Amino acid sequence: MTGRLLAGLVLLLAVAAQARAELDWSAEEVSAMARHGPWPPSPARDPSNRVSGQAAAIRLGEHLFQEPRLSADGGLSCAACHRADRDFSDGRAQAMGRVRLDRRTPSLWNAGYPHWFGWDGAGDSLWTQTIRPILDPREMASSAARVAGLLRQDGTLACGYQRAFGERPGGDDETLLVDAAKALAAFQATLVSPRTPFDAFRDAVLAGDREAMARYPLASQRGLRLFIGAGNCSTCHFGPRFTNGEFANIGIPFFIGPDAVDPGRLGGLAALARNPFNLAGRHNDDASGASGMRTRHVQRLHANFGEFRVPGLRQAARAAAFMHNGHYGSLEEVVRHYSEVSPDRLHSDGAPLVRALGLSPEQSADLVSFLRSLSVEPPARPPAPPLCP
Amino acid sequence: MRLLALVLSLVLAVPAWADCPLDLGRGTGWVVFSDHYMIAFRPEPMRIEVGEPFALLFNICTKDGNPAELVAVEATMPEHKHGMNYRPTIVAGGDGRYRAEGMVFHMPGRGEVAMDVRAGEESERLTHEIILK
Repeated sequence: MTGRLLAGLVLLLAVAAQARAELDWSAEEVSAMARHGPWPPSPARDPSNRVSGQAAAIRLGEHLFQEPRLSADGGLSCAACHRADRDFSDGRAQAMGRVRLDRRTPSLWNAGYPHWFGWDGAGDSLWTQTIRPILDPREMASSAARVAGLLRQDGTLACGYQRAFGERPGGDDETLLVDAAKALAAFQATLVSPRTPFDAFRDAVLAGDREAMARYPLASQRGLRLFIGAGNCSTCHFGPRFTNGEFANIGIPFFIGPDAVDPGRLGGLAALARNPFNLAGRHNDDASGASGMRTRHVQRLHANFGEFRVPGLRQAARAAAFMHNGHYGSLEEVVRHYSEVSPDRLHSDGAPLVRALGLSPEQSADLVSFLRSLSVEPPARPPAPPLCP
Repeated sequence: MRLLALVLSLVLAVPAWADCPLDLGRGTGWVVFSDHYMIAFRPEPMRIEVGEPFALLFNICTKDGNPAELVAVEATMPEHKHGMNYRPTIVAGGDGRYRAEGMVFHMPGRGEVAMDVRAGEESERLTHEIILK
């Protein structure tokens, strides 16, 4: 009788332990977890863009974003590749402009917060980066004259420009191209990704709210533990956006043809240096010079070859493909890459930041579960309000 | 506390170092020293954030009181042999004071600031460990 009672008690305890819906977290883990929030952050402001955060510029930017007449043939808008219904990307492994490109179209979620833009960091501000596809012959293939002409000649856009910039669009072509890009950047900076199950869990842990903590799946919790712990993922995927905003070589092949390579950051820094629209140039509105600090001090190193931007992970699980060139088609493949990556593919003579994690199938599934918990279905966007009603 | 005692004993024991101003304006900072050099320095802003540019303000003294030059400053993650992608500019302020602008630590963990100093023909590298969270 006593034996059966004891067995029953043990069984009850086991069931209770199984039913527990949260892991025990050390103070160090809680601290690491806390660094990935809070979310959402304060609205992004760019001192190099005098209309950043201003409602009239945001409105003009939203209209320009959907304006195909910005392109040379009048057929390609920003929104054609950065589709709102595709998390502001295009659902492709590699971008398609007028031709197929070598890299994946990045999502514009949280585009207002980085300090380097593009997979290779060739842009040092959101407005600088915005000019690139407008002028690139492989993409919109437009020109300063075309953009300026549109702003001057279209009555509604001219009205929107006047409201945003306080004057009629009468400056030189290059200045009007930059102003269009600054309005576009003001709009893009408003695209802040929604709160996720991870954010609710993080906040619950910090508040000691066990009931709310229990709503976060155990698999995601185990994946989070790997992410901030043994996996070392949060060293580069750091902070609330899950990126340190810098660049890394993680062993993704960089050949883009039989005898052609994508040099990544090495090429990006060369492009930045010769870009007349960089923050060291005359179009930077920041009189203090502080916004150009990184541009003035960044150095081009051989180690930059094959490095690409460390992407933020919010909404990343919803992408159609992964890595800078869409090399992988699923999160499972991405996790397998980190589990099995060969050190021969990496260039490091110190303790490598990326090393084969050797994950078990269960650990891989946990990590995928965590990464998925950084994404949600975003709310539908209302149509753009009229520019000049 | 032990470091403070050591610094105090050095300052009291060596007349030239006793004249070395360790306070860089906020009543706090770091001090590193060798047989020949003593460097007091602090970041600006006071808290170094991962991925955010910062400056370092230095006061450099020598044991014999001769002027010293700050030749180079570097920030690295020694375990990863990972340096900055940024080259700081060093501006001399006179009397051994320097400002290094444009430094960034890319990631959390154990970082190190390395300072190359020179007085006459004699140069030396001093380092200081910083834990970034």
